[in-house]
Amino acid sequence: MNECIIKATNVHKRFGKTKVLTGVDLCVPRGAVVGLLGTNGSGKSTLIKCLLGLLRVDDGDVQTLAEDPWDLSADAKERLGYAPQEAKLYAWMKAGQVVEYTAAFYANWDARWVQDLMRRWEVEPEQRVGTLSTGQLQKLSLVLALGHRPELLVLDEPVASLDPKARREFLRSLLEITQDAQHTVLFSTHITSDLERVATHVAFLQGGRISFFGGLDELKEQVKRLRITAAADLPSTFAVPGAMRTEVDGRTALVAVPKANDHLLDSLRSQWQADVTVENLNLEEIFLELHDA
Amino acid sequence: MASSPLRFEIHPSSGMPIYRQIMAQVRALVAGGKLSAGELLPSVRQMAGELEINMMTVSKAYARLEAEGVVERVRGKGMRVRESSPHGNTAERKADLRQHVEAMVTRGRQLGLTDEQIQAVVKSVLKEWPS
Repeated sequence: MNECIIKATNVHKRFGKTKVLTGVDLCVPRGAVVGLLGTNGSGKSTLIKCLLGLLRVDDGDVQTLAEDPWDLSADAKERLGYAPQEAKLYAWMKAGQVVEYTAAFYANWDARWVQDLMRRWEVEPEQRVGTLSTGQLQKLSLVLALGHRPELLVLDEPVASLDPKARREFLRSLLEITQDAQHTVLFSTHITSDLERVATHVAFLQGGRISFFGGLDELKEQVKRLRITAAADLPSTFAVPGAMRTEVDGRTALVAVPKANDHLLDSLRSQWQADVTVENLNLEEIFLELHDA
Repeated sequence: MASSPLRFEIHPSSGMPIYRQIMAQVRALVAGGKLSAGELLPSVRQMAGELEINMMTVSKAYARLEAEGVVERVRGKGMRVRESSPHGNTAERKADLRQHVEAMVTRGRQLGLTDEQIQAVVKSVLKEWPS
């Protein structure tokens, strides 16, 4: 399964003098549920828009569903679902009308499922879009993106304004749609706990590039924090090769490493006559270690 | 949910990957005799549905358990606990538990609890969860 549903190669994008993307490489394999993580302003939305052809890249190449997103065919659009960070829908329509209006564009619209989603997510079909709260509007926007069970689903901060109950319902629906391992999802978020439940892969967008892309399990298995207690004070120059972050305080040091292995631990133990313990890190901690360097 | 008497519990925000958490719990259930040879694990779909996690995560855990020889795949039925599970004797089971107890004691000390207070917590949990 090496097929890339989305493939970005050396993508650059700038706005005026501000360089946002400076060489993004990314391959999203079929069936993956990818969480795109990055700090505020790291360019997550810009990248998503470039991948969907809503923004034109300055340099580099993007293939989405094996097509150039800037010139996407009607067929590819049928297979694609997108919910932007802030949905812009006709304020004068009722929620149910927006759904019907959107359904008309898709041959494979799953009306029963959509009805079910609206009931579970508590989106009232009779309510006017203009009177919906931010959270309600986001839920409606997600329903619209999911309605045709798209082969590729791209969501920009889908849970940002959802309450915990709605978030849980949303995650459940994501799991329903992805359980056949044929549907692919890319979603940006800064809520790592939700991502840990559903994501198969994570991508970190950092400094205009993807600084890490890989399986969530592999990430958790490899990135560790070492607590080193040496026999004597550690020098201020103390460093572990490849470390993401190092904090030295007297005889002890905290070091986050991208790949912990026995060889590394043994060499630290013998070099500093140190006691070394290995701590697991969850996604949020890994994120912080990566961004705190 | 009533269909599954086995109690699995996962912590998505733990540093341990979810599939490893499932593996550890299956091993513990087998070692402790709560799952005996010949019994079936919940189906991948059922387990993923109940825990609200990706089915691929459950499949991965089951495949690894199969490779370890804890369970075997029975065509059309699912995963069955194998006869001679390699995780049998008391010493091994104690060693498994020990890791968890060490983590607990560390946390207790960090919280500034005395040995008696830590023991009291353990006793009250044991009471709430009769075997």
